[in-house]
Amino acid sequence: MDILTGMRVSSSGMAAQRMRMNTISSNIANINTTRSPEGGPYRRKDVVLESMPEARSFGEILTSAPQKDVQRVQVTDVLVDRRAPLMKYEPDHVDADEKGYVAYPNINLMEEMAKMIQATRSYEANVAAMNATKDMAMTSLEIGR
Amino acid sequence: MADLLDKTTRALGATSNLRQTRHNVISSNIANAETPGYQAKKLDFENALGRALNIEDMAPAGNEPGHFMTGPGAISKVRADIYENPDVSVNNDGNTVDLEKEMSALAENSIMYKAAVQLINKKLAALRYAATDGGR
Repeated sequence: MDILTGMRVSSSGMAAQRMRMNTISSNIANINTTRSPEGGPYRRKDVVLESMPEARSFGEILTSAPQKDVQRVQVTDVLVDRRAPLMKYEPDHVDADEKGYVAYPNINLMEEMAKMIQATRSYEANVAAMNATKDMAMTSLEIGR
Repeated sequence: MADLLDKTTRALGATSNLRQTRHNVISSNIANAETPGYQAKKLDFENALGRALNIEDMAPAGNEPGHFMTGPGAISKVRADIYENPDVSVNNDGNTVDLEKEMSALAENSIMYKAAVQLINKKLAALRYAATDGGR
């Protein structure tokens, strides 16, 4: 049924925004982290969103013309921010270099908060679209009642 | 038996079908509201459906390719016209989705869909009334 396409597209949008929210949370949580598995301070992460034609299975692609106009969204990559770390003079810190500077992640809390609000709103928009889809599907069940 | 479902009911059926497609297109725009480079899509069918309603009563002119489709069945052959919305402002990441417009289009579309379904129900209720001998 075609109405399910709309639900799948909306849920892909929700999943992408949730993933984005996770990276933002990670950025905020690690705003003062000076050590990371890759070495050096934590580096800010950002998601890369990509649109792609919605198609479920090989069979569906084979039997119907691919719908290029209905596209879902997907997180295809997580970028690591290239901004130089913030150097703070803290000679007593265990991670201080020989000159007494500690490298802190270059994360702007205001920027992260703004992105968080943006992600929340986008998520809500997708929820509204999903509910509208559900509403329409339920309405179509009323035909002939 | 002549058509059990009249022209109006068939037009309403075509409308609800096309509105489902439009709903999918709007959902896709909303899901991709923050995808860099994504172009907002728009779907038009009102004009095509209006033309089909006008030409459905004409006699079929044969199946010559390039001729207008007339006669019964013109309504069910209405295809939606999907294109990239030209009436947009481009973001600095190349995305052209206007979330407010999409949300209002979504609400409008689902209200119109419900209206079409209600009208189909009214038509069917009238049929049922006749078939049950005036509700007896």
